[in-house]
Amino acid sequence: MDTLSSIGMGFQTALTPANLFACLVGVVTGTLVGVLPGLGPVAAMSLLLPTTFHISPVSAIIMMAGIYYGAMYGGSTTSILVNIPGESASVVTCLDGYQMARQGRAGPALGIAALGSFIAGTIATVGLMLAAPPLSRLAIRFGPPEYCALILLGLTTVTFLATGPMWKSLLMAALGLFLGCIGMDPRTGLSRFTFGLIELYDGVGLVPVAMGLFGVAEVLLNVEQSMRSTVVETKIRNLLPTRADWAASIGPILRGTGLGFFLGVLPGGGSLISSFAAYAMEKKLSRHPEQFGRGAIEGVAGPESANNSATAGAFVPLLTLGIPSNAVMALLLGALIIFGVQPGPRLVVEHPQLFWGVVASMYVGNVLLLVLNLPLIGIWVQILKVPYPILFPLILLFCLIGAYSLNNSSAEVALMILFGVTGYFLKKLEYEPAPLILALVLGPMMELSFRQSLAMGDGNLLFFFMRPISGIILSVALIFLVLPLIPGISRNKPTVEV
Amino acid sequence: MNQDQLSSGVFFVVGCAICLYSLSYRLGTLAAPESGLMPFLSGAAIAVLAALGFILGTLRRRHGDGWTPLFRGVVWRRSLLTLAALLAYLFLQAHVGFAVTTVLFLGFLLRAIFPQRWSVVIATALLTAVVAYLVFEVWLQAQLPKGPFGI
Repeated sequence: MDTLSSIGMGFQTALTPANLFACLVGVVTGTLVGVLPGLGPVAAMSLLLPTTFHISPVSAIIMMAGIYYGAMYGGSTTSILVNIPGESASVVTCLDGYQMARQGRAGPALGIAALGSFIAGTIATVGLMLAAPPLSRLAIRFGPPEYCALILLGLTTVTFLATGPMWKSLLMAALGLFLGCIGMDPRTGLSRFTFGLIELYDGVGLVPVAMGLFGVAEVLLNVEQSMRSTVVETKIRNLLPTRADWAASIGPILRGTGLGFFLGVLPGGGSLISSFAAYAMEKKLSRHPEQFGRGAIEGVAGPESANNSATAGAFVPLLTLGIPSNAVMALLLGALIIFGVQPGPRLVVEHPQLFWGVVASMYVGNVLLLVLNLPLIGIWVQILKVPYPILFPLILLFCLIGAYSLNNSSAEVALMILFGVTGYFLKKLEYEPAPLILALVLGPMMELSFRQSLAMGDGNLLFFFMRPISGIILSVALIFLVLPLIPGISRNKPTVEV
Repeated sequence: MNQDQLSSGVFFVVGCAICLYSLSYRLGTLAAPESGLMPFLSGAAIAVLAALGFILGTLRRRHGDGWTPLFRGVVWRRSLLTLAALLAYLFLQAHVGFAVTTVLFLGFLLRAIFPQRWSVVIATALLTAVVAYLVFEVWLQAQLPKGPFGI
């Protein structure tokens, strides 16, 4: 089947009433999550995951993907109007977006953020559509050693890019790998570290852990602060940028799209690092770098395009290799596994409706988001005014219901609270929980491929290096492990909150 | 002692405990690995990284990087009350049911953490409980815990 007929089938799938509704719910929720500070896409997706058990896998993945890229759109609104990033990838938008709002140019700032995101999201989806099938065909040749090496590369890159010392990120990844071992060993049937608790026989659930670490912990940290924010008092008008605005922005939008997609594909890359890289690039390329930070529209257009483009890029390794590049993708991987869909190179062949349906839904979702974020911007501004003291009990209630409805069990709720408290202290002690989530999802896959590889190589650890692809991948992973030991690099390494 | 020394000390103990416990599942050989190998390796990685963290923390301590109070400048009482409410929800929902527990939970948080007017507390708690019940129990058919009144 060629790409055109495949995407045609994808649109048939994406435009069914159920999938269209799922896409709408996803992008609205994503925008809401992006607009509201203190709740990111990881928390929102883990909250909503249990509710998707009642719908088809295609609808569920369409909805969750919508949350991810929708959050990128919504995050800019809060950055521009409140100077607080609604979502971590919109941190850099505060610099120029808020200044534009203070100068009475909130409309063009919001407009170029939405239009740039739309252009970037659409082009990047074309990139995903074109890059994924050939990569899948290549990945079919991968055996257990290659997968084991790829997982290791994913984990080391994430830990390399994470904020704070690398040993802390690696430690979190190791803890995640251990948590992934809890439960029944799929090869021998032996239950490990369950201590007689039947609830742990199937392993530690991804949803309660993610909800605890990202939802409950975030609320516990937020409530002890004084949550005061003020929305810029300005009339939002002239949302459509002028010709001069377009002339200044089109270059940053296109460059941000390319850079964002490339960084999104890389393991450990993602929206935040893409937006920072795009901002740095635009400032370097600009004839007036001194205007950056004082309301330069390029400082909004480039990063906002890059973070949207990166979301589509992040789907490439997930859908073709079954390897998530960040915590959000790890949750999507977990969701696919829960639905009985094995992500990886055979996904395009075995589940074409899912793959092409999700790709087509991204085009649809981007159009929906443009409508949501331009004509309906007033609604989001009103939502921004809902105070956090009213909002946080609702977030917690949603966590509680979500965790309980996984298996109708209080044990899942207890697990979520336990990880909430753990996440609270981890954050206080400056440990990033994202590598833990990634390793928890990848742990069982890594264990299986590691044991298979050892059996294939008759216990020879050098076997990984005897196969060219796994050898190259492992060498890159080793470089990432060693790089921080070089003083100049450890000081200058890029960091990102995944 | 600073934060890194304390936390890495705790993780070192955790890593060692995992390694020791993994031995009971048998490690096997490299050619025929058994159930204990992967948890053993992850436990060992935790212990080694924690030891490294402890050394780095100690070096930072020598350069004057001491203990920073974790709760300085924050109202920790609010987090504690929120946690207490979560635990109370966990224990109450099985006995009192979803609806009543939810109203009490929301009412408590709205009134005790960032105190709101009683009218806001009552209206928000009741309305949210009703909407959540309709969405999750009636529409999505999640089997929420039932109390003496069947809700």
